[in-house]
Amino acid sequence: MSTPAHELAEADRPWIIRTYAGHSSARASNELYRSNLEKGQTGLSIAFDLPTQCGYDSDDPIARPEVGKVGVPINSLDDFHVLFDGIPLEKMNTSMTINGTAMWLLALYVALARERGEDESKLQGTTQNDLIKEYLARGTYIFPPEASMRLIAEMYEYCLEAIPKWNASNICSYHLQEAGATPVQELAFALANAISLLDLLKERGKFDDEQFERAVGRISFFVNAGIRFIEEMSKMRAFGEMWDTYTADRFGVKNEKYRRFRYGVQVNSLGLTEAQPENNAWRILLEALGVTLSRNARCRALQLPAWNEAMSLPRPWDQQWSLRLQQILAYETDLLEYPDLFDGSPVIESKVNALIEEATAEIETILGMGGVIPAIETGYMKTALVRSMSERMSEINSGEKIVVGLNKWTEGLPSPLTGGDDGGIFKVDEKAAEQIIASLEQVRETRDSARAEAAIEALKAAARDGSSLMEPSIECALARVTTGEWAGALREVFGEYRPATGIEGQQLGLSGDRVEMLRERVNTLAENMGHRPRIVVGKPGLDGHSNGAEVIAVSARHVGFDVIYSGIRLSPDEIVQSAVEEGADLIGASVLSGSHIDLAKQILDGLREQGAEDDIALVMGGIIPPADAAELESMGIKRVFTPADYELMDIMEAFVEILESR
Amino acid sequence: MNLAETVERARGLNKHAVARLVALFEDTRASAAAERAEVLALLPEHSATVIGITGTPGAGKSSLVARLVPTMLAESDLSVAVLAVDPASHVSGGALLGDRTRTRFATGDKRAYFRSQSNAAELGGLAPTTFQVSRLLKRLFDVVLVETVGIGQSELDIRYLADHVYLVLQPLGGDEIQFLKAGIIEIPDSFILNKCDDPAAGMSYYQLRSSLSLARPFDEDQPPVYRTSARTGEGVDEVAAAMLTVTPRHTDAEREEYFFGRWVEDQWGATGRRFVADAGGAQALLGGGFDAAQGDFDADIVGWLARD
Repeated sequence: MSTPAHELAEADRPWIIRTYAGHSSARASNELYRSNLEKGQTGLSIAFDLPTQCGYDSDDPIARPEVGKVGVPINSLDDFHVLFDGIPLEKMNTSMTINGTAMWLLALYVALARERGEDESKLQGTTQNDLIKEYLARGTYIFPPEASMRLIAEMYEYCLEAIPKWNASNICSYHLQEAGATPVQELAFALANAISLLDLLKERGKFDDEQFERAVGRISFFVNAGIRFIEEMSKMRAFGEMWDTYTADRFGVKNEKYRRFRYGVQVNSLGLTEAQPENNAWRILLEALGVTLSRNARCRALQLPAWNEAMSLPRPWDQQWSLRLQQILAYETDLLEYPDLFDGSPVIESKVNALIEEATAEIETILGMGGVIPAIETGYMKTALVRSMSERMSEINSGEKIVVGLNKWTEGLPSPLTGGDDGGIFKVDEKAAEQIIASLEQVRETRDSARAEAAIEALKAAARDGSSLMEPSIECALARVTTGEWAGALREVFGEYRPATGIEGQQLGLSGDRVEMLRERVNTLAENMGHRPRIVVGKPGLDGHSNGAEVIAVSARHVGFDVIYSGIRLSPDEIVQSAVEEGADLIGASVLSGSHIDLAKQILDGLREQGAEDDIALVMGGIIPPADAAELESMGIKRVFTPADYELMDIMEAFVEILESR
Repeated sequence: MNLAETVERARGLNKHAVARLVALFEDTRASAAAERAEVLALLPEHSATVIGITGTPGAGKSSLVARLVPTMLAESDLSVAVLAVDPASHVSGGALLGDRTRTRFATGDKRAYFRSQSNAAELGGLAPTTFQVSRLLKRLFDVVLVETVGIGQSELDIRYLADHVYLVLQPLGGDEIQFLKAGIIEIPDSFILNKCDDPAAGMSYYQLRSSLSLARPFDEDQPPVYRTSARTGEGVDEVAAAMLTVTPRHTDAEREEYFFGRWVEDQWGATGRRFVADAGGAQALLGGGFDAAQGDFDADIVGWLARD
């Protein structure tokens, strides 16, 4: 008797349940991890702070305001000993959100296993290590594309035999969706990225055919899932089919196992709103369904954002709430008991085929340009994303795209969730940074300095002669070389990259009376001031999420401002110098890392030092809790914009009003 | 702060003071002309050179400037101001001035100053106020680099503004080199073939050389062709050294005469030209100085028209 269609011989195993976490210090994060593991979490997902991600020591001037803010700071192997204290590495599946310094963090992990006497070959986990999406959306790149791709390739070459269960990189489409990518763009850009990586591995010729096939099997993906959950589920199915086709046809992979589209998910944060934040809980639930409903396209690992992400970094309780959602979905419902629910559905099949067709055409365009590196260097991909993001914003602004609580049904009762003593938001312990810097200084003083120097020299030599950097990096880790020293040595050899901003030539699909009226007011301002109003837009600090700043720059030009777009990763001094030299009337600074108070203080101090505080007004935008916004305004920031200020023309009008009132 | 104080601080290259004066020289209000004359009266003449850097978008001008300026500062005691002109939107009049992102000089160095300008949707590569600002910067800095998009409609502008014009090219196909013969190849004093680490660069270099001898029969010696890579820094020292030895080509009077003519053309077109000719030429009108000539012009021409 055959099994009925609705029955599985054995229920599916749940996906790996994770929470993206890490903050303040290695000690505090270690406590958090241990408590999450006790709560039933089955893997670790480590968030590093921005200095660690961008390759700076915690005491570097550009790093200071960011230490411990969005993740854990790691300066040397000593910090890793603390971070993983009491957590057996061999048994843990550890995912690290690390890119520009991915090789360094993997080297630290291997060095930790060696010093602890654990079996290196049993390590399991993932270094995110996708620089393409860093150039496009996330901003924590360090080196130029060619050098970055070399580091990634060398990690695959090292891991395949030495740590066979390690995913050397994770091709990310997650951040592309956050930057505005449509499902087709997400499919196309992520797969083109993976294909280009495999092309490179093949070209380097370090693998024989059998090894190459296994290397293909190590490629894994990190995908986003938005609120249009039927389309998102179809996207996951399209991913699976397309990857199977490309790996078979282009790379000749015979073993079906190695052609499987392996992916983890973090669901969408872009669509989470600061307005009526409790609604985000439902959004997260629906987004989770998109990546779990279809058995054949189900994620391997899932992490969910917290309901209050649009307001601040989540507190442990917020993360626990999201964790419980996953547990209910996996263990209470009957989801895992059925075969695929959508096989044979003509609706889904048609949707999937349409996505495949469009995405394949786009992939061929990119491969025709010579792969993802030329598509990055020419700004092709970035321009496409900025355009999609502008369109999305236009649709929300015009009401064509409904966002409940934001542009429709905006009247609501006050949320008791934000009423606690802490206002529903998380504060980083300011004292932690001092302790971290003290222990960094101690490492520098107590290490064998001859060994550390020799390790750095050997690293640079390998970088120059083209030999693998993995073992020299592990030796650096063991010799207590610091994160800033490792990255600094490679910066010396490879240089630092400044990518295309993607904002040149962008148009906003916004028009109408409002825009015309603002243009007239800007023209009047220009006549009265004797020059067109000038605004410097830039991102101080290390956080690289440039989408908000880009949209503001494009909008300001749209209404007639002269916009000096200064890009990302600027020190407060650089912003001040830009504004002063350019004779700006206004600075628009965007900060999403939580360091807004420190950065604002430094910019205002800089303006005062230059005697320009009366000439140049400062406005800020970002994920800024109300209490902080009030503090910023009392410090002299003219206006603070948060995700609640989504209407671009309101923001532009505020800019104009500030200048008119002078 | 009064004007004299600002000028004094600007002479010490205080960035805020320099920027305030630049704003005055960009100021489109009629009242600004008198103050400009006042500022210039307070600033002694100074033998500075103006260097023009032009080239199509994407040729790598900004990245090259980012390399050149620090090299010039390291190789000499001179001070360098950069004026980077970007196109404006014809619809809104606003502009995205993005050269600064690619340039990024060290902070706090008074010897370097960077200013972006919008061309205010004019067809040429220069902003209407580029000449005005260059008058100021020449009195404050030793070298003024003017970076503009393309050599366009008003190709002569950059030749009059600058003592030496560099055209930055990227490696091209043969057809595109041929295309260069028409017009713009005659303007530059030197050529820079950037991105020379590109495999196509070798071929382009020889094609450019052979085109030059055909397209510029007026040259006694072929103009220099430099090969650089803004990415690796290759060839930058040589160009920087050449820029430091540029000598003035035009006197201030010649420049003022030319740009006064351009300004008259913009404001009054053919009528303005006839008035100037009738008045005995631009030189005669400029007797009381550039700013006074501009300040008086509108009233005078209106009177002249009434008399006609």
